[in-house]
Amino acid sequence: MNMLAQLPASLWNDETAAHLLNRARFGATPAEIESARKKGLVPMVRELVDVRADAGNVPPPAWAKPRNIRAARMALKAAKERGENFRETARQFRMMEGDEILDLRRWWLERMMNSPAPLLEKMTLFWHGHFATSVQKVKDGYWMWLQNDTLRRNALGNFATLVKAISRDPAMMIYLDLQQNREARPNENWARELMELFTVGIGNYTEDDIRAAARAFTGYRIDMTTQQFRFARMEQDLGTKKFMGHTGPLNGDNVIDILVRQPACSRFIGRKLWRFFVEDEPSQEIVDAIASRIRAHNFEMRPVLREIFSSAEFYSDRAMGTQIKSPVQYIVQTSKLLETQLASPIVVQNAMRQMGQILFAPPNVKGWDGGKAWITTSTLLFRYNFANYLISGDAMLPAGQAARAKPQDAGFRRSVQRRQLAAQIKRDPIDVSKFVPDQLRDKPRQLVDLLSGRFFRTRLAEKETNTFVQFLESRKPDTSDATMRELVHLMMSTPQFQLA
Amino acid sequence: MKTKNTLQTRREFLRTSMLGVAATWTLPVFLEKTFFALDAMAVNAVTQTATGKDGTILVVLQLAGGNDGLNTVVPYADDAYHRARPRLALPDEQILTIDHHVGLNPKLAGLKSLYEEGHLAIVQGVGYPNPNRSHFRSTEIWQTASDADRNETHGWLGRYFDNCCSGTDPTIGVAIGEEMPQAFAAKNPTGITFSRPEQFRWRASASNTGHMSTEEIFFRQLNGFDEENTPAATDGASIGTLPGTSKSDLSTLDFLQRTALDAQLSSDKILAIARKYKSTVPYPQGRLAASLNIIARMIAGGLTTRVYYASHGGFDTHAGQFNTHERLMTELNDTIAAFVADLKQQGNFERVLLITFSEFGRRVAENANGGTDHGTAAPMFVLGGRVKPGLFGEHPSLTDLDHGDLKFNTDFRSVYGTVLDSWLNTPSQIVLGRKFPWLAIL
Repeated sequence: MNMLAQLPASLWNDETAAHLLNRARFGATPAEIESARKKGLVPMVRELVDVRADAGNVPPPAWAKPRNIRAARMALKAAKERGENFRETARQFRMMEGDEILDLRRWWLERMMNSPAPLLEKMTLFWHGHFATSVQKVKDGYWMWLQNDTLRRNALGNFATLVKAISRDPAMMIYLDLQQNREARPNENWARELMELFTVGIGNYTEDDIRAAARAFTGYRIDMTTQQFRFARMEQDLGTKKFMGHTGPLNGDNVIDILVRQPACSRFIGRKLWRFFVEDEPSQEIVDAIASRIRAHNFEMRPVLREIFSSAEFYSDRAMGTQIKSPVQYIVQTSKLLETQLASPIVVQNAMRQMGQILFAPPNVKGWDGGKAWITTSTLLFRYNFANYLISGDAMLPAGQAARAKPQDAGFRRSVQRRQLAAQIKRDPIDVSKFVPDQLRDKPRQLVDLLSGRFFRTRLAEKETNTFVQFLESRKPDTSDATMRELVHLMMSTPQFQLA
Repeated sequence: MKTKNTLQTRREFLRTSMLGVAATWTLPVFLEKTFFALDAMAVNAVTQTATGKDGTILVVLQLAGGNDGLNTVVPYADDAYHRARPRLALPDEQILTIDHHVGLNPKLAGLKSLYEEGHLAIVQGVGYPNPNRSHFRSTEIWQTASDADRNETHGWLGRYFDNCCSGTDPTIGVAIGEEMPQAFAAKNPTGITFSRPEQFRWRASASNTGHMSTEEIFFRQLNGFDEENTPAATDGASIGTLPGTSKSDLSTLDFLQRTALDAQLSSDKILAIARKYKSTVPYPQGRLAASLNIIARMIAGGLTTRVYYASHGGFDTHAGQFNTHERLMTELNDTIAAFVADLKQQGNFERVLLITFSEFGRRVAENANGGTDHGTAAPMFVLGGRVKPGLFGEHPSLTDLDHGDLKFNTDFRSVYGTVLDSWLNTPSQIVLGRKFPWLAIL
C-alpha cells in the first residue's frame, strides 16, 4: 500500500487548504485560504514548492557585511596593552552585536510574514532547528546572517549539498569547534554531532567512526580578515582512515557522502521532516515510507516536500489541527490573523524568549524539542497575555506602566532609557473592522461563527462556541470595538488557539 | 497517614481556591477524581508528591558570569595567592578566618556567622573534567550535569521532575526570572517561571476595566476542564484506570487543557500567597533580594514546591574587579542573611537547603586591567538548617595549575548527587546517569 497516496480532489476544501497553508507557510487569512482552495491542491502545492530558482537570493540587511575581525581584535588588544580605555570600545562592540542580532531577528520574521516564497522561510526555519547554532557562542551578527543565507539557498535543494555547505559555515564551525580541530589535537565535537544530530542519529556509528571523521575534517579554518571559510591544505590529515566500512584517505566531503548513503540517514531526516510538518509521533510505517521517498529522490527536498504536501496522510485526522504552534509560528500567524504588523523588534525578541524559542539562539545543539515542550503553565499564560498586547496594544499593560513613562524619573539616564523603551513598546489597538463586519456586531452567533473560521482551524466544541456567544450576550447592547477586541482576546486565550 | 493528609490538603485547596476566586466556578467531580488518582499513583513507584507543609525544599542560586572563587573563599595563607594577585589579593587581616589556610571574603560576615552556627558547608575546588571556559557552554554543562564532551538537552532538575515527580503540580519547580533556566528543561516540561507573582496571571483587556470581572469569568469557563470533553468522565472509567499519569500520554488538546487548568490553579495559588504573606524581616535592595524574598514568601505560604531557582548576574569581572566584586559579595551576603532570618522566623529553616553555583571560577593570576579572566574550579556554598557544616574537599593548589587555572578536585555532580540522594530523596543515578562520590554535607 502506498502510504503517500495523493489526497482525493474531493477532499480539497477550506479546511485542507488552511491546513496546508498553516504547515507549509506561517498561516493564512480566510481570503488567502479561499484563494488556495480555488487554485486546487496540485497547483497550490506547486506554487509553494516550485519557487523560482533565484528565490533564495535574498538581499541581506544593510549591516550584514564581513569585517576584518583580526584587525579589530588586534586594535583592541593594543589599546588594552597601552592601558587605554578599551572597555568602552569593547562595550560598543557588544552593543553593536546586540543591535545586529535584534535586527536580524526582525529581518527574518518579516520575511516569514511577507516573503513571496514562504515555504523557503519555513524550511530555513526547519534547518535552523536541525543545524542549531547559537549567537551566544558565535557572537557575531554577520556570521549568523551568513548561516541563515546558506540554509535558505539550500533549503529546498539537496541534503548532502547542504551538509557540505554547513561543514564550511563559519558560525557552525565556531559553534562546534571545528576550526579548532587539528591532526595533533583533535576536537571531536563537530564529528560527533554530524552523526548524532545531523545525519544518522545515535546508535548508528561507533566511537572509532567519530575519531576517523574528526581526522577527515582537518584543515577547516576561518579567515578572520574576511570572515569566510578557508581550507588550509597544509593542515589536512591525508592519512588512511577507516570510516563505516570505507578505507582510504577520506576527506570531510567523503565522510558526508558516506553518511548520507546510510539507510539510517533517510530515516533520521524523514522522521524529523514528518515531525516538523505533520505530526509529533510518526508511526514506523510512515517513517519508512518517507525515508524510501527521500532515497528515491536522492535527497532532493523539493520532490519530497511535494509528495508530503499532496499526500492524504498529510491531511489525516491525526495531523489536522493537532500541532502546537511554535513560538515563531505563533508570532507570525497571530499577526497575520489579526491583519496587523509584527510587534516591534524588542517586544518580539522578548516574547520569543518568554515563549522559549529565540531565533539564532536555540537552547543547545539539539535545537528545540518542539511539540508539547513548547507549553508550560508559564508559556501558556504568556501566550494569552501576549495576544492581549497584540490586540489591545500597550494599553493592556498594568496601568500602562511600561509604556507610559513618567516624565520626571530618578536619574536622567534611566528616564531616557525608559522613554526609549516606552516608544518601542507603544502599540495601538488593532483595527477590528478589518475582519468584524458592522452588520454582524449585534448578531453574536453569526459573528462567533465567522471569527471561529478565522482563528480556529479545528471545529470548536459547542461549549466554546456557546461561551463566546454568551460573552457577547452579556455585553449587549455594547458592540464597541473594545468589546470586539475582548472577544478576540478570549478566543485566543484558549487551548484550541495554540493548535495549527 | 501522611499521604492522606496531602490528598486532603490538595482537594481542599482545589475547592477553596477555585471557589474563592469566581462564584460561577464549580469544581467538576471529574477533576477531583483525576487529582485523587494522581495522588494515589504518586504513592507508588518512585514518584513523590510535594506536600507543602513538611517536604524538603532546595533553593538553587546561580551566580552568573563566573564568580571569582579565590576572592570568595580566600586561601589567604598561601603566598602564591598574594603573588598572583598584587592588586586584587584581599588583605590577610580582613579575612574572616575559617581555618589556618582559608577564610571568607570580608563582606561575607553573614555567611561566616552561619558557618559558626553550623549551618554552612563550603565545598572547595568544585569543577569537572576538561573544563570549558565559554560562559555559554560551561553554564550548559552545569545546568545539564553532562560530561564536557557530551551535549545533553535536558536539565538536571528537569530530569528530576521527569523521573521522580511526574503527575505532580507544576509548582513543583519555581524559577524566578524571565526565562526558564536550562536546568528545568525536561521531556515533559513542568515548573513555573515568573519575575513577579503579579506577572503569572491571565490579564483581561484593561481598556474596559468596568467589565473585567465578567471577561475573566468567561476566560475561566474556557480554560477549565469539564465533564463533556473528557474521556475519563464519559466512559465511566474507574479511578485506577484514569489516563494521564504523565502529560506525555495525553492527546495534544487534553494536554493543553490540563496545562491551562494547571496554569489557573497555580496562578491563583501564587497570587493568593503573595498577597497574604509578606516578610517582616528587612531585605536589602536589588533584584537578588527581590527574588529570594519571593521565594521566602512562597515557602511561608506552603506552595508545594521542591525546587526554587534564582539567578544573579554581573560576576564576569574582567576589569576593575575590586569594587565590583566587593559590591557583589555584599549583596550576596546581605540577601542570604535576610533570607535565612526570614526562614528562621517562619520556622522553615530546617526544611530548606540553598546551594550556590557559578559556571566557573576565575584565573589565578589577575590581568592587566585589575580584573580576572575565565577560569575553572571554584567553591560552592551549601547552607540550611540541617546541613553538616564544615569545609569539604581540598583547596586546589595555586601552583600546580592547568593553563593558569586551578585543577578541580570535587565534581559538581557529587554535590548534585548528594543533594538528590540525601535531600530530595531521589536515587541520583536516575538523574545523573551514574553515581558520583557522596559528600558528607548532609
